[in-house]
Amino acid sequence: MSPAAAIEVRGLRYRYPDGAEALSGISFNIAEGECVGLIGPNGAGKSTLLLHLNGILPDPPPPEPSVFVFGRPVTEENLPDIRREVGLLFQDADDQLFCPTVYEDVAFGPQQFGDDLALPRTVATALGLVGLGGFEKRAPHHLSGGEKRRVCLAGILACAPRVLVLDEPTSDLDPRGKRELKALLRDIPTTKIIATHDLELVVELCSRAILLDGGSVVADGPTGALLGDEELMLAHGLERPHILQHRHPH
Amino acid sequence: MAFSLDPHSRIDSPVHRIPAAAKLIAALGILVATVSTPRAFVPVACVLLATAALSRIPPLFLLRRLIILEPLALGVAILALFQPDGGRIFARIVVRATLCLLTVILLSNTTPFAELLRVFRRARVPALLVTTLALMYRYLAVLVEESERMRRARACRTFSGGSGRAWKSLAAVVGRLFVRATERADRIHAAMCARGWK
Repeated sequence: MSPAAAIEVRGLRYRYPDGAEALSGISFNIAEGECVGLIGPNGAGKSTLLLHLNGILPDPPPPEPSVFVFGRPVTEENLPDIRREVGLLFQDADDQLFCPTVYEDVAFGPQQFGDDLALPRTVATALGLVGLGGFEKRAPHHLSGGEKRRVCLAGILACAPRVLVLDEPTSDLDPRGKRELKALLRDIPTTKIIATHDLELVVELCSRAILLDGGSVVADGPTGALLGDEELMLAHGLERPHILQHRHPH
Repeated sequence: MAFSLDPHSRIDSPVHRIPAAAKLIAALGILVATVSTPRAFVPVACVLLATAALSRIPPLFLLRRLIILEPLALGVAILALFQPDGGRIFARIVVRATLCLLTVILLSNTTPFAELLRVFRRARVPALLVTTLALMYRYLAVLVEESERMRRARACRTFSGGSGRAWKSLAAVVGRLFVRATERADRIHAAMCARGWK
């Protein structure tokens, strides 16, 4: 038997509380170690889909789960383990940095999971990984946008997740912030799912892309072929990234 | 510079170097003395002024913070004017409130809030209350910035109109801010759950 997929989604449907259908039957598998870009126009359902991957949505989890993490269904009793295995980076860093100091924020996850003894070392290691060693005592609201995003990432890495789920990791960052974050993500070998409008990020980091529109998977395939298909991209509010246009075989 | 409740809490001075717990206990003592004995007014004022001088916080900043908070005290004190001998009671309430406000302003600007929270936690203040305070402190700046952005956006499209319209637009900003704050609270809760909060 082949090893269980890192993330398996089977016929996932979701309606907003107001009745509008957000996800209408989504299925895909992501193998361990893969880095997958999730693209699609605004309102395609990308963020909603991501919130399902660690059981934030639906609340409470349904009796018949459609999401499986390393073969385990996302159910009420599996939630603590699944939230530890799937680290979720939110779109707005201010939503995610809810503690008064950087140290407490990075320590929040490990603390919930009961790793009190090794805490200072875990935090220092995580901050070191994102290049912010020594930031422990800083207040989150006094950090730059790029620093905030990296502290968020440290807070997730401190939980040692097996899958990283990132929602628009490069939005609101200046070019340097983007470059640094990309380099950082490239060095993290964990399985990654990145929802983004930053198509160059997808080209540079992801070997596979999933195109979502109107709550369904429209296309799923190798990044180069999918993002290089100009007609497909334009039809779904996207475009063929420049980085691919200049890659002609001369 | 972003809005901050306690912009001077991280400078260095003899007062800043005193452990947070000691400062908190001293502040509580001063508050109790001020509220319970009128004779304590002069010594308390002397202690506070000396602390202020030692703390290297710009006096103008302290004065401005006092003026912002004073209306709350005056609002209550004014009621005293309607009783016999109201003048003296009025004066006493105002002095008392001003001393208390100054104590709290000094405490919060000589001690990082995170350290105060740590003292609360060690003193077994209920965790829910400490978490609420921590979240309030963290998101006050975010809320102020959000309201400032919305006010600016409104001002950019406000070309005329008397004060009536201004009040109406202020009401709209406040309402919208409430909705946004609620939505943000939901997202923060989701972010907390995502990292194992139960």
